[in-house]
Parts: sequence; C-alpha cells; structure tokens
Amino acid sequence: MTSPKTYIKAASVTQAISCATGHTGNFRYLAGGTDVMVNKFQGNDEASLLIDISEISDLKGIAINDSFVRIGALTSLEELIVHPLVTRYFPVMAEAAKSVASPIIRKTATLGGNLLCENRCSFYNQSEWWRDAAGHCLKCDGPICLATGGNKNCFSKFVSDTAVALIGLNASIEVADNDGVVVIPLEIIYTGDGINPRRLSKTAIINAILLPLGEDCRTIYKKLRKRETLDFTSLTSAVSFHNDGRIRIVLGGVHAQPVIVDGSVTDDLPYLISRAVSTTRIVDNDTYSRTYRKEMVGVFLNRSFKELQLI
Amino acid sequence: MQQISLKINGRKYDLLVGDHEMLSHVIREKAGLTGTKVGCEQGSCGACTVLVNDKAVLSCITPAMRCDNAEITTIEALSQNGRLHLLQEKFVEKGAVQCGFCTPGMVMTALSLSKTLISKEGIPGLIHQIREGLSGNLCRCTGYKKVIEAVAEYVMESSAIKFPEKESDGVKPALRGAVGTRRPYIEAEKKVRGAAEYADDIVSKNQLHCKFLRSTYSHARIEGIDIQEALALPGVHYIATGKELPVKFGVLPVSQDETAMAVDKVRYIGEIVAAVAADSEETAAAACKLIKVKYAPVKAFLTIDDSLNDAGMDEKIHDYGKFNNNIHKKAELRFGDQLQGLRDADLTSKMFFEFDGVNHGFTEPHAATASWDENGLTITTATQVPHYLHRALARVLEVPLSRVRVIKPYLGGGFGGKSDPFPHEIIVAHIARKTGRPVRVRLNREEVFLTNHGRHPSRMTVELGISNDGILKVLDADIAIDGGAYGSFGVVTSYYNGVLLQAPYKLDNFGFRTYRVYTNKPQCGAMRGHGAVNSRFAVESLIDDLASRIHMDPCDMRMKNFLDSDTLTVGHYRITSNGSRESLEKVMEQSQWKNRFGKMQMGRGLGVACGFFISGSALPIIWNDLPQSVVHLKLDFDGRVLVTSGSSDIGQGSDTMLAIIISEVLGIGMDKIFVLAADTLLTPVDFGSYSSRVTFMAGNAAKDAAENLKTEIVNALIRRHDLSSEEFNFYDDRVFSNDRAIDLSWMEVVDLLTSNRGAVCVSGKYISPKLGGDFKGAGAGLSPSYSFGACVAEVEVDLETGYVKVLDIWGAHDCGKALNPLAVEGQLEGSWHMGTGQAISEQMKYHKGLLFNNNFLDYKIPTSLDTPEIHANIIETIDPEGPFGAKEAGEGAIHPVIPAIANAVFNAVGVRITRLPINAEDILTKMKEHKSAEKKNGV
Repeated sequence: MTSPKTYIKAASVTQAISCATGHTGNFRYLAGGTDVMVNKFQGNDEASLLIDISEISDLKGIAINDSFVRIGALTSLEELIVHPLVTRYFPVMAEAAKSVASPIIRKTATLGGNLLCENRCSFYNQSEWWRDAAGHCLKCDGPICLATGGNKNCFSKFVSDTAVALIGLNASIEVADNDGVVVIPLEIIYTGDGINPRRLSKTAIINAILLPLGEDCRTIYKKLRKRETLDFTSLTSAVSFHNDGRIRIVLGGVHAQPVIVDGSVTDDLPYLISRAVSTTRIVDNDTYSRTYRKEMVGVFLNRSFKELQLI
Repeated sequence: MQQISLKINGRKYDLLVGDHEMLSHVIREKAGLTGTKVGCEQGSCGACTVLVNDKAVLSCITPAMRCDNAEITTIEALSQNGRLHLLQEKFVEKGAVQCGFCTPGMVMTALSLSKTLISKEGIPGLIHQIREGLSGNLCRCTGYKKVIEAVAEYVMESSAIKFPEKESDGVKPALRGAVGTRRPYIEAEKKVRGAAEYADDIVSKNQLHCKFLRSTYSHARIEGIDIQEALALPGVHYIATGKELPVKFGVLPVSQDETAMAVDKVRYIGEIVAAVAADSEETAAAACKLIKVKYAPVKAFLTIDDSLNDAGMDEKIHDYGKFNNNIHKKAELRFGDQLQGLRDADLTSKMFFEFDGVNHGFTEPHAATASWDENGLTITTATQVPHYLHRALARVLEVPLSRVRVIKPYLGGGFGGKSDPFPHEIIVAHIARKTGRPVRVRLNREEVFLTNHGRHPSRMTVELGISNDGILKVLDADIAIDGGAYGSFGVVTSYYNGVLLQAPYKLDNFGFRTYRVYTNKPQCGAMRGHGAVNSRFAVESLIDDLASRIHMDPCDMRMKNFLDSDTLTVGHYRITSNGSRESLEKVMEQSQWKNRFGKMQMGRGLGVACGFFISGSALPIIWNDLPQSVVHLKLDFDGRVLVTSGSSDIGQGSDTMLAIIISEVLGIGMDKIFVLAADTLLTPVDFGSYSSRVTFMAGNAAKDAAENLKTEIVNALIRRHDLSSEEFNFYDDRVFSNDRAIDLSWMEVVDLLTSNRGAVCVSGKYISPKLGGDFKGAGAGLSPSYSFGACVAEVEVDLETGYVKVLDIWGAHDCGKALNPLAVEGQLEGSWHMGTGQAISEQMKYHKGLLFNNNFLDYKIPTSLDTPEIHANIIETIDPEGPFGAKEAGEGAIHPVIPAIANAVFNAVGVRITRLPINAEDILTKMKEHKSAEKKNGV
C-alpha cells in the first residue's frame, strides 16, 4: 500500500533537510514544482511527501562580491532573465534561462529546479497507463530500454538548458546537507546514468549557484526545438571562448548528462567538433531523429565557432 | 487532508484540501469558481492561469497547500460592479474571444504581462513582447492575432507608456444588429468574465464521477473481466462493462460499427473496456486500477499496407466485408476521359505524398453530465451535433427518441472533433440510469487524444497533366487513408479526398480512387476542411511543380484555370458565386507577389495555393425528409424575439449569426433578440455544426423564420388599418409604410400583433435544392454553394538546419457576404493558424499502435511565437442562395494555406515537400540530393 500523501512547507534549509532525513518513504523537495508536479501527474514521481522549500528566504536573492555572483537557487528563471547582474556579467545565462519552457512557467520555475530537472525520454515521460501499455522501461523499473532495446543503459536525455550555460561559465553550486555546506563544481553532480542522473544525496539542497567573475570569455548559446517556446531541448549548446585561448563546449539533450569538451583555440576545430559529436549518446527518444540531432551538433558548433570568429 | 485558508477574489475560504491537491481543483470544485479552466493538467496550455499574490501561475501544477494564506485572483474578480475590466473590454471588442475556453487564462496572463512590458521599439516592440509573453497560453480558435491586438490596445490605453497614436479603424461595435457590422459574439462578455458554463463546469447534486479503464492492447480478445475487487472499494457505486451496451452506433448509418465499450475484443490501445462511477474521481480512478482484464492478443494491423493486404489466417479488425482484408471503404469516380487527357497533356507531374494524422487540439477536453428523471434522459455535453447524439443515445440505450434530451452548453472548440456521438456520452447516460444519480465525466488530455477522430493519416499518388500553355488537362488521384479502428465519418472522408478536387480549376478529365482501411489505432474522422486538406495539398504542389517546369508564374497558371461563376464542374457541382480570381488577386497584391516572387535570396521564399469548400452538405447524413435546418421564433408581449435553433455554437459564433439575421430582417436591435440553441427538447432539429453548414443553412432558416414573422406583422397591420395590401419597412425599431402614413414603434407593433392572440410563433426552414448527377457517389460534396480562396505564404528556411520559419500568411477567402466581418476574420485567422500547425509541427506519432505524443507538450500546436503574421482578407461575391449572400468561412480557408507554405519552401530552397508535417531533416536530405545531382549534371 502506498504511504499517505503529505505536504510540508519548510521554513529553513535545516528544517527541510531534517524533515527529509526523518522520512521513511519517498519524498521530493518542491521549489517551483513545474517539473515535479507534471511528473507526479503522470505517475513518474511517486513521492508521498512533498517538502515545499519555495519560501525559504536563504535560498533567494542575487548578490555580488569580488570574485563571484551568487544566485539563490530559488531565483525564478524570469527574475534571472532581467536581473542587471546577470545581464551585465553573464548575458548567456539570461539567454539560456529565456529559452526554458514558456514565459508563464518561467515565473514559477527556479534556477535550482532547472539544474535538477528530471531527465526525459519519449518512452518515459508518459502517463502510468501509457507505460503499462508500452511495457515499463529501465527508468521505470522495467527490464529494457524501449528506445534502444538494450538492457544496460538508460539514455534519458539531460535537459537542463541553464546547466549547459552554467557549466560553460565554470559555475559552482553551494550544497547543503546533513553534514554541512559544500561548494562543488556544477558538472560533477551529473552521473551520466539515465536512471539516476544526479549524484547528489537525496536529502541535499542546492542553496545557490556561484558564478566566478573575471572569466574573460564570450559564450554562444543555441537550442534546438520544434517550437520557439514551451519545448524541452532536443539539443542545447554553449560554446565559450576564453581570452587565454581556452574553449569549452557544453552540450545538453544529447546524453544522460551534459557533454563537456575542453579544448583550445590552437586545436583543430573540426576535430574538436568531431570529438564533441562522438562523446554524445543520442538515441531515438526525441521528437527529432537520432541522425538529425547528431548532424545538428556539428552544425551548432560550427556556427558557434563562426560567431566567435574562430573560423 | 489539511485545512488551509485561501483569500480568493477578496473572500476568505477555509477549506479542507488534499496534501497533493492542485490549486485549479480547489478553485473549481471547492470554491466553485469555474471561470478558471483546465485544458491539459500539465502546465502546457495556460487555460488555468490565475494570480497568486499578484503573480501569474499555472494553477493545474500548483499545489493548493502552497497557497495557504495567499491572495488568489481569478478571472471572476476582474470585472467590478458589473463593468468589465478594460482588458476584458478589449478582448470583447477586438473579437479575441471565440470559443472562450482559453480566454480566462489568456486574460490573466495578459494582465500580469501588461505590468512588465517595457517601452522600446514602439508598437512593433510592444507587439513582440506580447507575442512572447502569451506564448505559454495555447489558443486554437483565433490564431492569436486578435488576442495580441486586444492586449496591445489595452496596454496603450491604460499604461503610462506613451505610444504613437494608432490610426483608428473607426469601427466600434454597433448597438443594432445589422448584416456586415463588425460585432463581438453576443456571449463574449459572459465568456470573458469566466461566467459562461462549459460542460465540465456544471455540477449536479448527488453526482457520481466516472472514469474509464482503457485497453493496453491494440487488438485482443477479451477473455474475462474481473471487477470484484474494484467494486468492493468504498465509494464505488457502479462498474459497467461492454456487454451491458451491445448495440452498435456510429455517426453514419452505413458505419454503425462501434460499441460504447469493447464487448468481445479491443481494437485499439485506449479503447474503453470498463467504466467506474464513484463518489470522487480519485476513487473511480483507483477502482479502474483494480479491474483485471484477461486479454488474448491477436495480430494488430497498424499500417495502411497491412490493412490493404489479405489478412491471411489472422483475425480481421471487423468481421463484416466481402473480402479477407481490412478495407473499410473503396470510393472511385471517373469523369471525362483520363486516358485521352493524358495523351493531350504536353507535360505531366506525378508524385507520391504522405501525411501524418493530426488532431483538432480544441482546448476544452470532452466532458458530459447525464441524469434521468420523469422525462427520461438529459445529457449536457460538449457536442457539435446534438441531433445525431440524440439519435445514437436512443438507439444504444434502447429508449424512444422522445425520452432523450441533449443539451450543449458553451463549448470550447470542436473543429470536427466533437461531431460524432461518443462512447463516454453513452456510458454516463447508461450508468446514470443504472444508479439513479447524475453521472459526470471529463476526459483528460491524453484521453482526448485517444478519442481522436482527427484527420486521417493518408498517402496518395497524384498525377496532373497540363498543356504547354499551362491549361490543366487531366488529374488522377490514387489515395489510401488510415481510418483507425472504427468508421466515424470515414465513408464521407473517402469520397471527399477525391471529389473535392474537381474545383476550383476547370478539369474535364478527372478521376480518383480512395481506399479507407481499418487499423488498430484510435479512429479518425472529420477535421476542419474535412477529407480534402491532404489531397488539396497534393494538387496544389503539382501545379506549383508544373508551373515551375514550364517557367510560368504559378499565380498566372492558376488564373488561367479557374472555373467561372455560374457553371457546373465535371462531377456536376453547381458553382454559383465564385471569388477565386478576386481572392488570388488580393493576396498577390498584398504580398507584392509580382515584385518579389523569384527574386528572393536563397533560403527565403514565397508560395501560393488556392482552394474551395462546401457550404454545408446538400444531403443529410441520415436519409429522411426533415429540412436541414429549422428555426423557430416566438414574439411575445415584451417585444423580445426568442430564437430557437438546434444549431450548435461551438465558438464559431453561430448564435450571434442567427441574431444578426433576425435583427436585419426585422429591423430591430440585438437587445430584443434572445437566442436559445442546441437543446434537443426545446429547439427544432438542426443537423449540427459540421461541413461548414450553419451560416448557410441555419442562417437561411432564420431568415425564412424572420420573414414569416414579418408577414404575420404585415397581415396584422393590414387587418387593423383595413388596407388592401401595403409595403412596410422594418427599420430602426420601427415599422412604417412608404408614405409614413403608418409609422409604428416596435412595441406598438408587438401590442397590435399580440392583441387577442398572445405570443406569436413562427417557423422557418432550409431545404437544399435538388442537386447533382445521377451516378453512384454523385451526392458526395454536393453543396448549395461553395467558398473559394487563396493564400500566399512567405517562409525562411535555415540552410544548415532545415528549420522552416513561416513569416507571413496573406490569405483571402470568398465567404459570399460577411454577416459579421469580425467573426469571419476570426475563422480565417484560426484556419491559417491551424494549417500552419499541420504544415510545420503537428503530427500524431505512434509506437506500436500506442500514441506517443498525447499531450500539449509533445503534440506541437503553434504558440503565439510560432504563428506567422496573418493578413486576412474577406472577399464578398454575394451568393444568390446564401442568407444575404453568405457562404461558409470556417473550414475552406485551411485548404490553401498548407500547400502555400510548402510551395514557399520549394521557392526558398528548391525542395519539393511531399510529406507532412514539413520536417527539417527531410529538407536537409533533399537539399543534399539536389546539390549532388547538380554537381553530377555539371551545374
């Protein structure tokens, strides 16, 4: 029998974590909830306890000091788009945020939530009834991946657009858990396992995102989707070119985790592109075909290099 | 459950809510504020938008618990002291309200948006911000154009931001009804206030909620259904299974092939197998999970080819039929001499086309409530065809027609998708009878997609031959359409695919063959532009191809081939008024076609196409001698004319159309007219809203009724004043003789008419003239009148990604006479929006018979950002038989827009589109092939 549905609004991070730690069943933190609630509606998220952290004031606000800009994890994507510190120092961040979902969703969706957005797949993001009819896939406790027929790997797509931009900007996150607060590079929380795509402990909460200042770089951001709004990504790319010659390519939507390829302006750029393409793990689980998305990785990167005037 | 306190619209509510209950549910079901709509339940459509502490949120994905002590503003709070908010006024005035289902959410989003707009780049900047800001709110009726206009005007009039003076179009809604006046729908205010009740807004005392168990197999025998455990669940009152309702039904008499629930076997994934009625939806849903069904799967037929072929030893989808295959219908007609036509042609083009199925995407999910009392059954349901549902209910429930009453409340869009009798309607009626309690059902979006009845997936080989000077010589079409598991309108669809190719161009040698097959998928049926949208696409693409090959401007080639007015087509369609030329001229001029076509840079292109459509089918679906439409008028002592009509306003504005016609004929203000429509007990039979028939047929019946009332009045005047005969004028709320010797106010006339008599009732009707040839199949596509039109589209194609952006649509449509130009524009803009969707993004995708994209995130209806600039032009040709010259405007306009977009892609990148939706990947592949062919040829 499923445990009764409960809801708690946490007043502080400590309270939220202790609440989560003490809970025996499934729980889910709720920031904006725009991803979680849809997954709950479809029966993908079975958490019986919702711990609403959306009113914790410590998780809000954008501040600057000498070395970084600190963005509270609860900052809504809408706030992010127009915030002067973001538009001034990290315009690509605003661009990425603006490419997420629709304007009405961005009013509620948070940056922290977007970083933790659940991986997606055409065979997984379906109702419970649908998945019963299709036969359950690896990501919902089934024996095989319906997209590939394999039984080892889940290829659900990593779809956080803001994470792609943030990793390009060398962002770190401040994470609170039972044993205190740590600051870690954002990219290390992603595992590449479609079933359990994040390495964070279940009780951990992202307090804030730290964006280092003084990274003298320009970033070109692109997103592939059928409509100009609302849609999750079929391919997101952020290509950063640093003044010292470093190049960082970050891709979303093409693997269970963000694909990161570091290089330098002295590298053979077509080779860099082919390295990026070969690092992706694209399967037919999206509105666009595998072949097309693969081809588009090259097109996006090539275009980005052109816009950066590297080729 | 926890107790929370919500301040909704200033009033405090202490409510017990579920821990995971959504705010939308609390607002609608517990606070009873049904102005907030639920269209998708997953934040993709925006219909549920409300303000929480002044912030716009999607209430369908907001936990109610989160809102404890919050201030919530819903649409109901916007109008104050009986006056609309200025923003609401603008929605009404601009015609931004059609079906009205998305309207409350749209208004709330716009209100929130209007506070954040920043003044930059003048009006274009403002428009862009609005377009962007509304892009999370889907609308299927308006094409967003009038919504954006309404919001822009509101912002300009209300904000401190100063915008340059906008040139006034000088049209304010007139107080009096008159043909040709731009007029918001009569019920627009009610809709924009959130006060209009849709099927799911109606709550009955002591109601039960119904949920369905749906098949998880495409094609399987049902070996057993065990409902015991489900029945034992507290709160469950009744569980129905297929055997209780064995009588078959279907909208067409020739396709009575469906049962309310699967009886012995299931024919598609999603078919209803059992229905639970319980105290709450949650309980009903939980009980569905406890029902155990034992299936024995048999081979599923999922493709057209599979179903065309001999089924061998495998079990057919339906037993009947002479042959051992799954062909439902073969339709074939040949006119002239196609072989001779081919010999006469100097040049031919033959291509193979493929089309995915598309869904209507109306924003209001199906919903119904049924109950029984001493008068039999009453069902309130979202239907386009109360009359056919009336018949189906009587048939399946085995009760006399006199024991069934169907009421259509306000309806949130149909587009053909609510024009069949549906299983859920029959089931709730059945369970209501069994339990003696009202039973309510609403489908979720996934169920709406599974119910489908959308446009048929089709494929066809079409060949067109022309002479060197661009005259059409011959047309042949070989078509196969995928009907899904049941018949629906499919027999008509089969014919329409072919017969509706015999205009707007003159063709002497023409023939087609269509196969409709059954497959184990949700059934297909009628959708806007029924039957001919895909084959029209094929023909317009072939014309474009041939024009390009003979280096002729494709507009010129079309001009050369148009049928004239007052002529017959090769298949004996009687063409009366015909505005093809005017339509094409208009869009050529407006798009600056002659200056720009063929002179654009690579990647940018213009395309053109034309079309036509019926103004109602001249033949009834059920063969009998009832008139197609009857309208009753009752004039009583208070001076008000009550109009009763069985026609179904589905958001297209037909109630308003009736009032306009009565107002025009009787010369009285709209305030003296009350329309009561679509209640099969109170209103005379009208066949319903399909085949673009309502304005022409119900409009003519209304006109006839009004003229009959006029005659009653004139006779009364003659009697009173002892005249031999006299001509009277009905104008401006007065009735007067030419010499003004008799000059009476409307109330004086009413007193005179009703004295010693009481209320006067008159009837009007419309019966289509006898039309058509005497061959089998001659009846398909016969209509007393046809609409015509043309579109030019401009696109930009990304040469590296293949992404197609539709920039502009210039469209013109000959609707005979626009009784209400504001409503006609709305229909045209909506059609071109919907066509853009089928062209670039919409498709129903299946995985082994299971619909992949059954939600508004994955089924990609264009948002306000994806919808091009639409420039609508009304062409008036004054049809001799239409009411005041009017013809259809609701469907025909979708025909030309899709091929116009594809032809523009060809113009932009030289790639001929033969598959819909247009796919970026296909474009890239073909561009590469094109390039390598050029290389090979040394170009």
